[in-house]
Amino acid sequence: MSTSQLALSVLLLPVVGAILLAGRGWRLPRTFTKIVGPGVVWASFAATLVLFFNNASGDFTYWTWIKSGSFEVPFNLLVDNLSIFMCLVITGVGALIVTYSVGYMEHEDGPSYARFFTYMDVFIFSMLLLVLAGNFVFLIVGWAMVGLSSYLLIGFWYQRRSAVLAARKAFVMNVIGDAGMILGTFVLFVSYQAITYSGVFRAIAGLHECVYPRACIAPLAHPLDSPTLELAAFLLLVGAIAKSAQLPLHTWLPDAMEGPTPVSALIHAATMVTAGVYLIGRMHPIYDIATYAHGTVAIVGAVTALFAATIAIVQTDIKRVLAYSTMSQIGYMFLAVGIGAYAAGFFHLLAHAFFKALLFMAAGNVIHAMHDEQDMRKYGGLFRQLPRTSWSFLIGSLALVGVIPLVGFFSKEQILGAALSKPDDSLALAVWVIGAATALITGFYTGRMWWMAFGGKPSPERPVAVPHEARLVMMVPVLILAALSVVGGFIQTRALGIGPSSFSDFLFPVLGRMSWEEGAGVVVAGLVTMALATLLFLAARRFYVERSWKPWSSRLPWAQRLLERKYYFDEIYDSAFVRPMDGIADVGLRDIEKPVFDGVVVGTGRAAVAGASSLSLTQSGYFRNYVLVFVGGAVVAAVLLLIRANS
Amino acid sequence: MSGLSIGGSQIDASWFLILAAILFIIGTAGVLVRRNPLVILICIELMLNAANLTLVVFSLQLHNLEGQLFALMSMTVAAAEAVVGLAILVDIFHVRDVEDIDELSEMKG
Amino acid sequence: MAVAGAIGVVAFREPIRSVLSLVLVMLALAVLFLLLSAQFVFVVQIIVYAGAVMVLFLFVIALFGPTRELARTRLRFQSWLSALFVLAFLGLVWTMVQGIKYRQPDQGTDLSVFGTVQSIAVGLFTTYLYPFELTSILLLVAAIGAIYLSRKKIDDL
Repeated sequence: MSTSQLALSVLLLPVVGAILLAGRGWRLPRTFTKIVGPGVVWASFAATLVLFFNNASGDFTYWTWIKSGSFEVPFNLLVDNLSIFMCLVITGVGALIVTYSVGYMEHEDGPSYARFFTYMDVFIFSMLLLVLAGNFVFLIVGWAMVGLSSYLLIGFWYQRRSAVLAARKAFVMNVIGDAGMILGTFVLFVSYQAITYSGVFRAIAGLHECVYPRACIAPLAHPLDSPTLELAAFLLLVGAIAKSAQLPLHTWLPDAMEGPTPVSALIHAATMVTAGVYLIGRMHPIYDIATYAHGTVAIVGAVTALFAATIAIVQTDIKRVLAYSTMSQIGYMFLAVGIGAYAAGFFHLLAHAFFKALLFMAAGNVIHAMHDEQDMRKYGGLFRQLPRTSWSFLIGSLALVGVIPLVGFFSKEQILGAALSKPDDSLALAVWVIGAATALITGFYTGRMWWMAFGGKPSPERPVAVPHEARLVMMVPVLILAALSVVGGFIQTRALGIGPSSFSDFLFPVLGRMSWEEGAGVVVAGLVTMALATLLFLAARRFYVERSWKPWSSRLPWAQRLLERKYYFDEIYDSAFVRPMDGIADVGLRDIEKPVFDGVVVGTGRAAVAGASSLSLTQSGYFRNYVLVFVGGAVVAAVLLLIRANS
Repeated sequence: MSGLSIGGSQIDASWFLILAAILFIIGTAGVLVRRNPLVILICIELMLNAANLTLVVFSLQLHNLEGQLFALMSMTVAAAEAVVGLAILVDIFHVRDVEDIDELSEMKG
Repeated sequence: MAVAGAIGVVAFREPIRSVLSLVLVMLALAVLFLLLSAQFVFVVQIIVYAGAVMVLFLFVIALFGPTRELARTRLRFQSWLSALFVLAFLGLVWTMVQGIKYRQPDQGTDLSVFGTVQSIAVGLFTTYLYPFELTSILLLVAAIGAIYLSRKKIDDL
């Protein structure tokens, strides 16, 4: 099979699955859904592996979608190491999660079960389209479809009002991002008359004296001022912020936990929320020149990381802790790509996909065992009763904290090391400080989470006294990801200053190399940070295992409230945007819709009826009247004839 | 030439036309004024006859037989129409005694 | 005589008298047809019109007995408007007739056989065969219609 066919099959296999399962899929036996649903994703993964091992690359155009004057939009897929990497993550981790959900969603009835897998396959397809697209239009198509899939999956249990509201919130915020993306694309098209990546990037390289696609990273002889690119970069950044739930478009992510846990694992940990990072990485020729926007990326990332970590401290729902943790870790990725350490950012994306999906699925196992109880205060003492889940969760948690030798250490410390060692960049230093502080807080809240759930004695409010481990189909993906979290770090050990850099080597053809080298001091700083975070992890035990979980919150009640209310973001947005829109909508309904539009429609009907009834008066029913009218007409006709004859 | 040669002498065709016109108008007046449905049908026949007369006059005037043929057709049609009209009237009379055509005004509005 | 008959048609109160006046008109017209070299039409007028159609009318009147028209009317302006229109019509037609200009008569018709049965027959069965056939179908349809309309409705109404 040729590369272009392979690439297309990677993209389309999930669609086949979705189509097979949609509509009448639930009429077939459930086994069909169980095989097709994850099966197509595994098939897609296999195809991606073939591409990977063949070092495939190329820009393949399959057909031209729009052709209108100079505006030509082809359907093309760009296969390079970056997109292959993303596809591996999406299909690999995605396949594990979809397989997991075969067991997790078992309690759903027939139509719902098939519907779930349909939506999951649609999501996988959309995400693949997003990363494989070779031009901005299909990027946006994938982008929007991912938002749609997210909406469908968050609101999967649509009988729950909270789920529906959460889905709507996610969708609306995503649309704000979509608007930014579209406007950014407009700016780029107007400036460069191209809509494909190769077209746009070549145009930029030509105008700004870089060598496509890599060398724009190198510091340029004369720094360029490019307002157009800055504008485009900022607009695209809006999209990235919305999709990746960074400040200020972040409020939808915690609410998105209303969806089933596999959804949270796949969409809101491993793949969709990383789309923003992918975007910045893919658009790096733009961001290398648009330095202000580039810096903004780093700032947004760092601030969000810290912000989310602080909120995670007070969450009681296990999934919310993980949600804020995701927000925080993606902040790290933004931080990395924001300072130019692209490979580091993507490495953390990979690591995060491993351990966050692991954590969500393990949490799903716990939730399942606890009969859908998600409040951590009602857990406690699960370590002895659920050994495999506990160990997996522990591995995931330590990876999140960044403990050596798990993958999280290598990825996070590489980012922090790059930030610390970047020369002549005060911004990098500032974000390093924030990032390091966040790492410490991460240690704390992760520890709190683990100890509350698994440590100590069982809470008296426990719904299930003797929980049992999850089934095989739910356990195996968890174990696989745990293994990956353990060994995954060893492909890129730059954080220790020695060892392989396979990952950044792999992405070099697309992303180039970091323009500076880390020194030895960075390694030390990294190890120190890790040690401190680990200490905090253990320290959390004292707070939570002994069930004394309000020691400092009683001393600082305002802080507790601030964090619990998520810094009042939801309230601010509600009064600033939601209420006014509701007001406008009400006014519109009352004063515009009803009188004008309904008036016109109903009025037309009434006018017609009135006209008809007045005309019907001529139908008197009397024969002689009618004859009279005939004769009158004949007279008139005769008069006209005479006039015509005489004139 | 407005003359017709009838039986050897020349007569102006206009007289006949005026006669036909008068007959027609009388018939029209009858249709408008009389209220007995039967009488109305009779007046319609009168109008048809007047039209036939006009046709024949022109036929002779223009030396073209079409006029007479048309008049024949017209008579046929008139006969058919009278038959059907009377049948309808008979039908109505079966149901109710109609003296005045104004009573048959259900198709109002 | 024709005019007198016509007025009679309109004026008589009893329908039977109107019918008889119409017969009078038809006979007068028949004679006029004869004068106008329309022998065949004359004959048909007598046989079909004065004979069959009028007899039909008489039958209907006989069937329903004499009826009288009452004086009151429901439509008030009917008579005035009718009078107006009729007079207007009359005036117009008079004007028209006065100003009428005949075109040249067709050449080449033999006046001695004009209007005879033979010439009519020739016309009917050659040039005007189509209208002739259609008219016969029309008659057939009318006959069927009349039978249908006047059948006794026992079971359906």
